[in-house]
Amino acid sequence: MSDRADIDRALIGTSAAPFAVEVEKGHIRRFAEAIGENAQIYFDEAFARSLGYGGIVAPPTFPTTFRPSSKPAWIRGLDEGRFLAGEQGFRYWRPILAGDRLECALRLTDVLEKRSSKGSMELMIQDLVITSPAGDMVCVNRRVVIYRGESVKLAQEHAQEASS
Amino acid sequence: MNPALRKPGDTFSIRRGPITTTQLVMYAGASGDFNRIHYDHPFAVEKGLGGVLAHGMLTMAFAASCAVEAFGQASRISRIDARFTSPVRVGDVVEVTATVERGAPDDPIEATLTAEVDGRVVLRGVVEVTSP
Repeated sequence: MSDRADIDRALIGTSAAPFAVEVEKGHIRRFAEAIGENAQIYFDEAFARSLGYGGIVAPPTFPTTFRPSSKPAWIRGLDEGRFLAGEQGFRYWRPILAGDRLECALRLTDVLEKRSSKGSMELMIQDLVITSPAGDMVCVNRRVVIYRGESVKLAQEHAQEASS
Repeated sequence: MNPALRKPGDTFSIRRGPITTTQLVMYAGASGDFNRIHYDHPFAVEKGLGGVLAHGMLTMAFAASCAVEAFGQASRISRIDARFTSPVRVGDVVEVTATVERGAPDDPIEATLTAEVDGRVVLRGVVEVTSP
């Protein structure tokens, strides 16, 4: 069994086909329920408006739900059992609200290889750029996924090791 | 803005869990992350994970909840970053603590976020919050 890098480096810098999302209040509710949230800005439009929002607010990590309809080329063929969460970041220009129509572009920004005594792993750095239909920046979501080498078992401190 | 949490060193904590398999299935459905390592125990074992893992983004959602509770629902999160340092599993209780690093009158306020399970750090992050 090989333990070498499996991610196609030629795809670094490429993007998946752009996709659009419509942010629905029912989806925000289901997401908030799944994360155990009861903050009223996620459920109650009148309350959200009373705090100056233009409608029901999406939780800060909600853009994780924005996914292209088919897997990006750099994910295809990889073993889903070897993915681990690495890092995530969200930079907001404004809150995301129910009713928003947003444009999304997902790019493979870089692939970094990390080696340890247990084998190699790769960090897949992806950036999701979210804009309004007019082209205004709304949010950038950086998604760093660890792809474990085939022989690498889960370490208790996996990400610390991966980023050391 | 929560006036109780403005000065450097001020802290605020929340607890979430214990995490259930039902919650992981709900999160898979709501987030669209259907990776089987989050709900298919035999698959997760076969892949060397020792069993199902919670979604890292579920833990990050708890961290974001801590920030929103700490600073109030009217405050705006302009940035939130997190690194996943250790796995979270079914049955785990996650405690998240926000600690103010740069306080008012600076705007944005900056706080670190630390999530722990039984004293083991599972997430380290940072959040920037601006006044409405």
